[in-house]
Amino acid sequence: MGNKTVLVIDDSLTIRQQVTMTLKSAGYGTVEACNGREGIDAVRSGLPIAIVICDVNMPVANGLEFLETIKGDAPAPPVPVVMLTTDGSPELIARAKRAGAKGWIVKPFQSDLLLSAVRRIVGDRGV
Amino acid sequence: MLSHTSNEERLEDVLATCVAELFADMQIKAERVNGDYAPPPLPDSLTAFCGFGSADLRGSITLLGSVALFSQIHPLPIDVTPRDLADWACEIVNQAVGRYRNRLLQYNLSLALGVPQSALAERVRLWSSLRSGNRPICFTIGRETLEIWLELVVKPGFCVAERSPNESTAGIVEGSMLFF
Repeated sequence: MGNKTVLVIDDSLTIRQQVTMTLKSAGYGTVEACNGREGIDAVRSGLPIAIVICDVNMPVANGLEFLETIKGDAPAPPVPVVMLTTDGSPELIARAKRAGAKGWIVKPFQSDLLLSAVRRIVGDRGV
Repeated sequence: MLSHTSNEERLEDVLATCVAELFADMQIKAERVNGDYAPPPLPDSLTAFCGFGSADLRGSITLLGSVALFSQIHPLPIDVTPRDLADWACEIVNQAVGRYRNRLLQYNLSLALGVPQSALAERVRLWSSLRSGNRPICFTIGRETLEIWLELVVKPGFCVAERSPNESTAGIVEGSMLFF
């Protein structure tokens, strides 16, 4: 499990640290990005990313813009993305689903819930 | 039809409930204060704010609390820096305004949110704080006080009470997860 890398995109340093601590405690590696633009760059860099945990409301490029951009990029099935956000609106959830998100978690998150989401999705892909 | 003030009171009540629920979910013991309280000491305080808007109203939510308060409720076991505290203050206001947005969907109010910002609160003068009789929503956390100021500009004629809560427009609950 230790070589599976999770890309954590959130403009909050505290949330990135919380998510990173949770994932590292379970043996995952992490890479961090502060906004959707940095997230796009990380995915395009070719890093072996197993899954992305992504906020929605961020400066520069938001989480939905990130999602729609990497979906448009992908010649192969894109990396799975779980949104981690304060927003629970059905309209945004539907937009994320259309853009290929695999899940939606509304903050504040519980560590065990986040880990179960990552394990379920990464496991399903057989990475 | 309710007056403008009643609109504001209703919207403030929704926010107070959201913040109380947020602290409960974060396992932070916070108690709402309705009477007199000791305001945060401005030279040693932080503020974080986030704007929002819709067709019917616009406004902002501002948190004001001491550095000691934000240190006390920071969620990570690390030696926090001023940057960490400012970031955490932003995240709290982000989660408060996000929850507020989610609750107002039940009133067919769909808010667009800004990006939270924080600042040192050496000289904070919110318009709402200058209006006679206006008071913030207050919580005590340990020995510290957190002020929450709601600024609202409501479209003339708009009335929240005319829109009955509509569960079908509500999103998913905070702390829960959906898979697609």
